[in-house]
Amino acid sequence: MIRKRLPALTLAATLFSSSVALADDVSIGAVFPLSGPNASYGDVFMSGANLAAKHANEDHMLSGDLNVLYEDSQALPQHGVIAMNKLVNVEEVPYVLSAFTGVSKAISTLAQRSETVAVNGGGVGPDLAALGEYFWNVIPLANNEVGAASKYLVEELGLKRVTLIYVDDPLGAGILNELEKTLEPLGGELVEAHSITPSAQQFSGVAARVRSSNPDAVYIASYGAQQLQIVKQLRDNGVDQQIISYSAFSLPSLQALPEAKGALYTTQSIDWDSTDPVTKRFVDDYRAANGKTPTSYVANYYNAVRVFALLAKELEAQGKDVTGENLLAQRKATDKFELVGGSVSFQDNGTLLAPIQVLEVTGGAGEIKKVYAED
Amino acid sequence: MLLLQLILNGLQVGAIYALTAAGFSLIFGSTKIFHFAHGATFTIAAYLFHYALTNLGLHWTLGVAMAAGGAVLFGILLDRFMYAPIQRHEGSFFTVFVASFGIGIVVENVIGMVFGRSFISVSTSLSRSVELLPDLYVSPLVGLAVLTSLVCFVAVHMFLMHTHAGMALRALSENTELVKTFGLSPRRLSAYAFALGSVLVVPAAIFTASSSGLNPAVGHHVMLISLAATIVGGIGSIRGAAFAGLLIGMVENVALWQVGTQWSEALTFAVLFFFIIFRPSGFFGRAAVS
Amino acid sequence: MTAYILNLVVLISIYAILSTTLNFIIGYAGIFSLAHAVFFGIGAYTSAFVAMNLTPSFFVAIPIAMVLAALTSLALALPALRVRGEYFVAASLGLQMLAVTLFSEWKGFTGGIGGVIGIPPVEIFGFALVKPWHFLILTLVCLALVIAIIQRLVHTSFGRSLKSIRDSESAALAAGKNITVIKTLSVVLSSSLTALAGGLYAFYMAFINVESFMLATSVLVMAMVIIGGTGTILGPIVGAALLMLLPGALSYLSFLPQTEIGSIQQIIYGSAMVLLMIYRPGGIVSPKTRGEAA
Repeated sequence: MIRKRLPALTLAATLFSSSVALADDVSIGAVFPLSGPNASYGDVFMSGANLAAKHANEDHMLSGDLNVLYEDSQALPQHGVIAMNKLVNVEEVPYVLSAFTGVSKAISTLAQRSETVAVNGGGVGPDLAALGEYFWNVIPLANNEVGAASKYLVEELGLKRVTLIYVDDPLGAGILNELEKTLEPLGGELVEAHSITPSAQQFSGVAARVRSSNPDAVYIASYGAQQLQIVKQLRDNGVDQQIISYSAFSLPSLQALPEAKGALYTTQSIDWDSTDPVTKRFVDDYRAANGKTPTSYVANYYNAVRVFALLAKELEAQGKDVTGENLLAQRKATDKFELVGGSVSFQDNGTLLAPIQVLEVTGGAGEIKKVYAED
Repeated sequence: MLLLQLILNGLQVGAIYALTAAGFSLIFGSTKIFHFAHGATFTIAAYLFHYALTNLGLHWTLGVAMAAGGAVLFGILLDRFMYAPIQRHEGSFFTVFVASFGIGIVVENVIGMVFGRSFISVSTSLSRSVELLPDLYVSPLVGLAVLTSLVCFVAVHMFLMHTHAGMALRALSENTELVKTFGLSPRRLSAYAFALGSVLVVPAAIFTASSSGLNPAVGHHVMLISLAATIVGGIGSIRGAAFAGLLIGMVENVALWQVGTQWSEALTFAVLFFFIIFRPSGFFGRAAVS
Repeated sequence: MTAYILNLVVLISIYAILSTTLNFIIGYAGIFSLAHAVFFGIGAYTSAFVAMNLTPSFFVAIPIAMVLAALTSLALALPALRVRGEYFVAASLGLQMLAVTLFSEWKGFTGGIGGVIGIPPVEIFGFALVKPWHFLILTLVCLALVIAIIQRLVHTSFGRSLKSIRDSESAALAAGKNITVIKTLSVVLSSSLTALAGGLYAFYMAFINVESFMLATSVLVMAMVIIGGTGTILGPIVGAALLMLLPGALSYLSFLPQTEIGSIQQIIYGSAMVLLMIYRPGGIVSPKTRGEAA
């Protein structure tokens, strides 16, 4: 575990020291959970961002080297704001990668005030679409994901009665809202919704409640270590129904959990075998370095950094400064971005749309069951 | 049937709380040390058990031995190298509490660095529930947890009532000076109390490791509950602590019948708060000191 | 760089207000509260609510927050009057856990776990403090004011009564002190000044959520007081500065593995608590005479 992290760490460490030395270099920031219970997400996000910076530098897209400066949020809003303050005020970066719904919401005010672009590639709370002009999302938000999940449950599997277990935060509340909205028109029904605290660890009681409502499927809206505990305890306590969740289930430790086998989850759809040159290079290099297929999180943060490189390259060509304000203007002026997964465009609210796929946990990389086009 | 199921769940959780609370109460009652790091002992025992089974591939009996050894060692070391020096020069209640809290933080983070911060659990077929009655699921672990707790309590009771060391421990909680005049060493007795109190968390830790699973912060919640149980049960009464622990586990689960899980912790602490204000001596306790 | 230092100084000052007010009840009244973050939270939420719904004026939002905190602090004063030692710690712990649940569930007021975003900049006589410089001055003035109030109080007969209660409640009673009134007043005063820190925090961060007002914060502030030194004026401020500088200082040590920094920071502050209690229970800044500290 420690050994595996080392290359990324040394890279981060060297980036830290070198950022002071070379004035020509372009730095962007990242507020990721690097410690605490969600640190494993940080590792995944970092691998994507680092790969994109490496590619941009190999291609000499910018006049200087592109660096990513990492700050730790522990996935907590207050730490996120302190980290963002440091990036904006000390490093004076024009562009910051963000993750987690709570942290993203917390830093959005600072992003707006300091005219710094904040880009989220991990949090999927639906209200992330409404955090101001300087807050962008390179990930489809939960409303897209939940829609696809509902459709698959009702139309493909005939599972109509759904019970939800959700963490009572903006993300969970968003998913609850979307399930209520999407199930009914399809002829489904949200039977019960159980809210839990982010620190809860005992779910045998919830399992009993779920069993007694006897749904066709159980939707889990949690993240990190907690979702593993929920899955294990549901299965241990005799809940045999179909489990379904959103992209947080792409976490490798969940994929490896024996009790999670057969569970469904949604992510944005990226065709890893695509012949499109951007996607192919990303997938090939990631496989060469890590020996496995990337997940959509890796791709999202690769894309987030790539969007910056594309915009900054264009600004440099026009002789403009790479500031948050100019980046925003340039994004609005750009129709299409060539990213991993194909050619995409931003909506007016700064959020990317992407097709959604439904996958099954198999213990390996997850088996794709169906792909829904963006709507 | 749901209610019956929740009561059964409450029994399992309550048994775990009762064991940890009894250990805390035993230590606190006899040595007057507010051992907040009791939760850390729980975490250490649970992770050692997991390590022995999953990483070393040992038989579960060896895992239990390792967990017990680790817990007892941790308890005795803390008593000797942290609490004893503090008590020597001042030992106000709060000084002890702060140091104990500090060591709890250290343990949680060291465990996170050594064993990783994500969720782990001991995989065993025993945690898998079977349908006992229609729609009533019970895992063999529930029975084991309840049985083990009963055995532990009987053993502790026998020890305290019928052995020399046990009687001395009870005497220590009554009057330190008296113990000294009888030629017994309070320091040695204190080590006994820590060893016995720490070993009581081991079954609880093992059941948690195999049923709900572990993360480095797992001891935190258990500690808060033990503290609440000790006070609600009455300080100095092991029986009271165990009873209150069981009750809290029950309430936490049965409350789900009517309210959401997010209220269960608040419910426990509301009960604690009102107990302290209106009946600080608890169920079985002596009158609250000053 | 200056902006970063400004940012740190503002946060240190806010936490210094918290540790100073906690020290007032721990160090002088002997009330070991683990619920300090509750009043910090009430101050922050109330100020944010007033700022967003009524006016962001400092002289409206902060006083309302302080009054509300003073009223709710009676819930802490009640157990403080009835029990001491471990019972009171447990009661304050219970209050803290209850408050966290309420903060998470009362969404109309607190925004739940998602929190309150977009709190407007604070205004003083219609002048909005947007620049970090201005805010720093405001925070420092508030800190100075809090220290002055507590310093003065400690040296009045009220302060002497407090200390006599701390040292021996029965002796104070025999000396004819009105323990109920004195204890209640000290809790109310400490809590309302804590709410001032909460208000500053809300305006400064422009975002608050329940994670800033949980048990961990109460413990952090308690550690600041203990590590700095209880029963002194300087101690809590030194403690606040040390603990707030620790994370920043660690992140500049590039040889430390980045993913472990959070843990290392926690381990350092946990160990500091243990070692200080063993070797120097009075804290870094010990009171002049030992008699005063015990």
